[in-house]
Amino acid sequence: MVNVTADSNKSQEKTINMSPWAIARRKFLRNKLAMISSFFLLTVIIVSFLAPYVTTADISKVNIMQMSLEPSNEHWLGTDKSGRDVFTRLLYGGRVSLLVGMACTTLVVLFGTIVGSIAGFYGGVVDSVLMRFTDFVLNFPFLVFVIVLSTIFYGLVDGLTILIVVISLLSWGGVARIVRSKILAEKENEYILAAVSIGCKPSKVIIKHLLPNVLSTIIVQSTILFAGLIVAESGLSYLGFGVPQTIPSWGNMLSASQESDVLSNKPWIWMPPAIILTVTILSINFIGEGLKDAFNPKSQR
Amino acid sequence: MLKYTIRRIIGMIPMLLLISLVVFLLAKAMPGDSLSGEIDPNNTDPQYIEEMRERLGYNDPIPVQYFRWVSGFLQGDFGTSTRYKVPVADLVLERLPNTIFLGVTSLVITYILAFAMGIYAGRKPYTVGDNLIGGLNYLGLAIPSFIAAVFAIYFFSFNLGWIPYSGSVDPTLQPGTFDYWLSRIHHVLMPAIVLGALATASYTQFLRNDIIENSRKDFVRTARAKGTPTSKIYNVHIMRNSIIPLVTFLGFDIATLISGAIITETIFTYPGIGQLFLDSVTNRDYPTLMVITMMLSALTLVGNLIADILYGVVDPRIRLD
Repeated sequence: MVNVTADSNKSQEKTINMSPWAIARRKFLRNKLAMISSFFLLTVIIVSFLAPYVTTADISKVNIMQMSLEPSNEHWLGTDKSGRDVFTRLLYGGRVSLLVGMACTTLVVLFGTIVGSIAGFYGGVVDSVLMRFTDFVLNFPFLVFVIVLSTIFYGLVDGLTILIVVISLLSWGGVARIVRSKILAEKENEYILAAVSIGCKPSKVIIKHLLPNVLSTIIVQSTILFAGLIVAESGLSYLGFGVPQTIPSWGNMLSASQESDVLSNKPWIWMPPAIILTVTILSINFIGEGLKDAFNPKSQR
Repeated sequence: MLKYTIRRIIGMIPMLLLISLVVFLLAKAMPGDSLSGEIDPNNTDPQYIEEMRERLGYNDPIPVQYFRWVSGFLQGDFGTSTRYKVPVADLVLERLPNTIFLGVTSLVITYILAFAMGIYAGRKPYTVGDNLIGGLNYLGLAIPSFIAAVFAIYFFSFNLGWIPYSGSVDPTLQPGTFDYWLSRIHHVLMPAIVLGALATASYTQFLRNDIIENSRKDFVRTARAKGTPTSKIYNVHIMRNSIIPLVTFLGFDIATLISGAIITETIFTYPGIGQLFLDSVTNRDYPTLMVITMMLSALTLVGNLIADILYGVVDPRIRLD
């Protein structure tokens, strides 16, 4: 009995001396599932961004001689209906899908945090105006408006940029709400009163004092968003309203399965992107869970 | 409560007007107009195009057009589809039952599965069964619905031949007969399961955690102490408390089902509203597009309203003001 309490005291002392970030890092590093997922995700990211160095095959060249070949030594995952190597396209597609996901997440988190923290910090009229606007944006059915907006801008500007902007424009509402509620709770603390009373500028109070304390929530939220936005991109591309058909992305590759011949007889064309997409989303979710667990002071692990 | 409901409904009106303005402007901003989706501009007499544009009112100032559209909308005149040459209302009403059928089936399946799995996992937490259900939930949350749909068609339609992969009913059957309804259910089953997978997973997880949390509370200990059978504690005492939060999800489901239906209906070529929407985008059938977009936005608003009101109904401790 004595030993047990001594042990737990020791481990408590250990954590007492650590900063919250160090505790979170330790918890995360001990989470096997999250670590395996991080490793997998990093591998996927690195390999797809190094695609031009990994394979030498040309992705855009249509090769009539090599249409719909089954997987072989020469073409690891076979070729698609235009004779392009599926493996090569998978790498380049991953680059586009991940890029769209990352760019959207960055924009969404940035915009949502700005709106949310301003609304939460100032309160009053500013808060209600900004929050009404957020409600307004959240009331649009996401998919419907993304499709309408991307049709409007289709061909006007570079397709990828438009897709990123349109998806981001319609998805920042959730982040803004969460950040606002966290800031509302956090700004009641006395150190904020102290900072304001010694004359800190509002921008400084928000950036230096408030945001670091809600950062853990933002990080967890952005992991969930990252997964969701990759799904949104690939779903839109599958329907033909996402990444332009000329650029390979996982969603675009999957849309080949709309032909029933490809779907039933040539699974090597659509299965690789489907599987890699699912596993990627799964690993991002596991990382998100791990982070949530790591930042939660109540969880003991 | 009644006061709150009425105030919320009145509060929806400006929101709907704003949305209608956005929808109208977006439809105007889309490339071409309904006319250029109908005729080949290179092969038609420019004079005729100009005449038609004048007659259809496309040359009027934008505000005039907007007010004409809104006042028509309020009087139940939803315009005429430029592609199918029939009133949009008829077109939508023809497809709507299919989508509602899909949505309701999906909800029923979701609730049955989520309750069965959630209650089992909540009663026996940290067992093999619970972990298995947890794993399934993870897959349900992570697999995008269109990928699940593609795999479902590949395995169950093409390889096993269990379910049809397109349409909403076998066209050779007479409407109204028993076989007809059987065929409809047969057609709707797979899309409904795919559509409800995400909700099923989150409901199950929620129910499980809630049951575990509730089972540690004082009232459960009291019930155990006075000798209430375990099954009664779980089925009556805990269930009543755990169902409450689930009820409020119903409102949000409406919004999720709408967005989900667009993808699911397209993959299963199920003739519903979602498919009609995508068709109207590709064919530049703007009257139809605007009506459907308005309808879906209004439904999302109503869904959020229902969720907010149900909060107050199921849990009187929550004060709405």
